[in-house]
Amino acid sequence: MVIDDAGTDRLNSVFQALSDPTRRAILARLMAGEATVSQLMQPFQLSQPAISKHLKVLEAAGLIEGGRDAQRRPRRLAPQAMRDITQWIEPFRQQWESRCAHLDRHLATITTTET
Amino acid sequence: MPADPKAASRSGFHLDRHTNTIRFIRVFAAPRVNLFAAWTRPDQVTQWWDATGEPLTACEIDLRPGGAFRFTTRSHPEMPFAGIYREIVPPDHLVFEAMGSTGRVAFREVAGQTEMTVEIVCRSAEHLEQVLSMGVATGTSQTLDHLVAFARRTMRPSP
Repeated sequence: MVIDDAGTDRLNSVFQALSDPTRRAILARLMAGEATVSQLMQPFQLSQPAISKHLKVLEAAGLIEGGRDAQRRPRRLAPQAMRDITQWIEPFRQQWESRCAHLDRHLATITTTET
Repeated sequence: MPADPKAASRSGFHLDRHTNTIRFIRVFAAPRVNLFAAWTRPDQVTQWWDATGEPLTACEIDLRPGGAFRFTTRSHPEMPFAGIYREIVPPDHLVFEAMGSTGRVAFREVAGQTEMTVEIVCRSAEHLEQVLSMGVATGTSQTLDHLVAFARRTMRPSP
């Protein structure tokens, strides 16, 4: 995979956006559907300015965008952020690799055959 | 680590774009009854499910067709892995629905070891991408480090 300078810049801003656990959690919440700032404030127990700041970073990275309702200004995942699928399978794969490694270790502690 | 080096080469992740399926295979040096138990007994699932290596904070399993399950991790309590069992055929396979996709986990005995096949069947191409991006959202810092390393490898300037 060859990525040009513009692509590198975009990936850098994506990684910067993803480096914060709250922003990753906000993304996870938006996967379940669009949400307004006030809907996001409650589960994360953050102030409105704090949430807005996180949303700004996510927006700048192209990961989220404004929803249809201009009045409530809900945010949703940006479809184009998901375009390059090879970029997204790697963390998914890593997650399952770790999981399988833990499973392997767990199985080694079980010396008897389950019935 | 896979017990069979030949299986390791087959253990890659495959994306089937026609059926919107993610599929991967791993071989474990354990009988398949033990694999089946590791997937279906709360005291065992809790030991390995969380990619961070921490035990689950809650693991509920109602092991019957139509029965619900819910795995809750310490790092993402707001996003438990939850769904409904559809088929339970010990120790051969397990089918469940979770997060809008169908999961199928099958265990096959190969030369005294167990080959585990995990399939995640999504509704659409968009849904497949959403499921994959979940890995980013729930990623541990370790996962993120891997992602950054991966990006550095793939972003090397072309000659």
